[in-house]
Amino acid sequence: MNKALKAITVGAGLAACFAFGYGWRDIQHGQAPSARSISALLGVSSSSTSLSPEQVFKQNYNRILTTYTRQLSPTDLKYAGMEGLLASLGDPHTIFMPPKAAEEFHDETMANFFGVGARLGPDQLGAKVAVVFEDGPAYTAGLRAGNIITAVDGKSVVGKDIDTIVRTIKGKEGTYVHLTVIQTGKDKPAAITVRRGRIITPTVTGKYLEDTKVGFLSIESFSEPTAAQFDKELAKLEQHDMRGLVIDLRENPGGLLETAKDLLSRFVENKVVVTMRFRDGQEETERTYGGSLHNFKYPIVILMNEDSASAAEIFAGALKDYGKVTLVGNHSYGKASVQNVFTLVDQASAKITIARYYLPSGRFIGRKVDEDGVFLTGGLEPDVKVDLSFDVEPTYGDPKSDSQLRKALDVITGGAPR
Amino acid sequence: MNEVKKSLFAGVAVAIAAGMVFVGSAARDRIDLGQRYADNSPLAGQTLLATRDNSQEVPEGDYFYEMSELLKREYVEPITDPQKLATGAVRGMVGSLGDPDSIYMDKDEFAIFQNQRNGLYEGIGADLDLDLAGGPKTKPGEKKSVHGVQPTGEDPQEAASYFPRVPKVTVVAIAPGGPADKAGVKVGDVAYSIDDHWVMNGPELQKFRLAQLAFGAKKLSLPELNVLRKDMRAKLERALMPLKAKNRLETGKSGGMTVIWLRNGQKVSTQLSRGTAQMSIASPKGYVLKFDSKAATGLKQAIAGKTEVTIDLRNNSQGDYSAMRECLAVVAPTGNYGVLQSDRKDKPEPLLVSKGNAHPPTITLVVDRSTRKVAEIFALALSSHFRAKIVGGPTGDDRVVQEVVPLPDGSGYTLNVGTYKTSATPTTVAVKGGSRIE
Repeated sequence: MNKALKAITVGAGLAACFAFGYGWRDIQHGQAPSARSISALLGVSSSSTSLSPEQVFKQNYNRILTTYTRQLSPTDLKYAGMEGLLASLGDPHTIFMPPKAAEEFHDETMANFFGVGARLGPDQLGAKVAVVFEDGPAYTAGLRAGNIITAVDGKSVVGKDIDTIVRTIKGKEGTYVHLTVIQTGKDKPAAITVRRGRIITPTVTGKYLEDTKVGFLSIESFSEPTAAQFDKELAKLEQHDMRGLVIDLRENPGGLLETAKDLLSRFVENKVVVTMRFRDGQEETERTYGGSLHNFKYPIVILMNEDSASAAEIFAGALKDYGKVTLVGNHSYGKASVQNVFTLVDQASAKITIARYYLPSGRFIGRKVDEDGVFLTGGLEPDVKVDLSFDVEPTYGDPKSDSQLRKALDVITGGAPR
Repeated sequence: MNEVKKSLFAGVAVAIAAGMVFVGSAARDRIDLGQRYADNSPLAGQTLLATRDNSQEVPEGDYFYEMSELLKREYVEPITDPQKLATGAVRGMVGSLGDPDSIYMDKDEFAIFQNQRNGLYEGIGADLDLDLAGGPKTKPGEKKSVHGVQPTGEDPQEAASYFPRVPKVTVVAIAPGGPADKAGVKVGDVAYSIDDHWVMNGPELQKFRLAQLAFGAKKLSLPELNVLRKDMRAKLERALMPLKAKNRLETGKSGGMTVIWLRNGQKVSTQLSRGTAQMSIASPKGYVLKFDSKAATGLKQAIAGKTEVTIDLRNNSQGDYSAMRECLAVVAPTGNYGVLQSDRKDKPEPLLVSKGNAHPPTITLVVDRSTRKVAEIFALALSSHFRAKIVGGPTGDDRVVQEVVPLPDGSGYTLNVGTYKTSATPTTVAVKGGSRIE
């Protein structure tokens, strides 16, 4: 009896030591051993002949980290592995985003970041202010389009890269940035102090084209505030006598499906926007809302090109299927899938294709490319195909230099001489 | 039980307990890391455990596992091959290095690469290298984002904005009698276009970028820029990334292609028909040494009983580092023959011969530009330590040591683990060797 008890005690003691050794790695990381590693222990003899995908990954991760000629950041290498993992599916829209990229992506979709509320372009003397957002902090402080920023917080930015300048100007909400600015008509540079705040980036800009009496609305992306901005800009245009509307979706990479649905509800009520087909064959249909219908009393043309994608294609494709618009320009990109963004514990995120979508007419517009990545088929076909001419440096929205817009205006005015 | 026995017993018990802790820890390693890979690391002495003290938010294995599970749950199509995810992750890691000497190869490409290491070539019958000369190679301590656009990636548009790191697809060795040889391709030729597909070319991209800047600064007119823009757009629409161009030239046993090469700044057009070819030397001037697993044995026989031996190292651009070390021990006395430098180590790894040949014959090495990698290291190690005379030259100037890592699915990759540096001074080499090796 006494002997048996002793044997059990010794056996238990040894087992405890083994378990401690087994879990040592986790203890070093300050965590309890995961259930997965314990179950792996029990199956160790059967799995030792062929390597699991996880083991293949870990082996090579360790090899690259320890033997590559340059010192690598373990975290960056891990993230590069995750990028490759998602890329192995061959779907260009399923991607991994490390924390920093994930944050930028989030800012872009939400279209709000902290800053002064201005868009800058390169200039020999520093940075030229291209646009100042109405009601933004920079506007309030007196910054205007055309001003040239030559110094930030007393430090000259002459010859600096525009991205670097933007980064120094951006910052936390409530902090101040001091800009030295050259304004036309003043001989001395002005000092402007701006209190950084939350910025809502305009995604819709409107312009009334006097000559043709046509409204021009450019939608940059489908973000959170886009629908409200669309309404506001449209209302401004409709104060004029309007013979037609051109909605410019060129270079619009898409964005939120919800926003596309919201916008489409201005055109059609309780109609199918898209049908999504998920992995298990399950279907889900998105429909426009009732009660937001707007009375468009004029013809509408949509301008698009190969960089119009995703939500922009849903918007244009649905309107086309319901006979509300004429499509002008080049074929669109052909992104016929829906992604969901999964945020991970370390603030990185994975954007994963969860469904394919079909337009109201049942059309699938997925892009097909050859082995060199050259476009074959896919996307929406324009009703009137026209290339952008580079004979004069084109500026979107300017009928004098924008040949695609000129064609759109011809479609609205019936080709009548202007 | 007396006191001595008691303390002995206690000691044994503690030892057993400690033993069990170790066994437990080892079992965990085995499970986490799988069986240890065969240690063919030239920088031997590294162990897998070296990375254990890296504190990371989420351990990489768990990260991989969670990500795979997320895909299995959410991705629009079922995940049929989980191994593909692992290989994809490895590809991502290797690609992130942005290093033309560390390249992932899919199953077919890796098979071709392995054949090449055995001297068997297909495609145009030449060895091509991704050459970053003139660009920023691996500067010590250089901090590079692993998330940057990779010059060997797939997207030509993105790479266009990354011109300084676009490598040149350069011919480094030609199989005698093979398609490239017959068509008059020369070592040093740079692929400019393949069947009207422009091969991404750093200087041309740079020229276009500078033209854009000149236009921005109003130093170039719009019509002038438009001519360049039209040309660049046409090129980019049918552009081949360097790695893809290299694969296209090295792959296939039938069919023809038109390749335009850059030779001394001139464009030279060649008609090539794909086929197989053996990498060899047309008229060898001595013993032909190939650095494979049988190299040392063969070399031993070749020098047996001789006082003077000539070894021909031309057309020798692929070889195994450990085989080369064995060969060095056959023809060189015990000693230090230089270092493998990498910027990750405090102390560079010495190239040591521990059991050398105390009475080697007088050795003459025949080299030229197709003497590269381990063959070049072999030549330099011997000549810089007055153990061999060099004839011909200069050599290919590529002393990078690569590991070759096969993966379970048949694909694999190369990994740049360091660059050989002689411990002798370059001047000595030039005087003694009579060639411009350094």
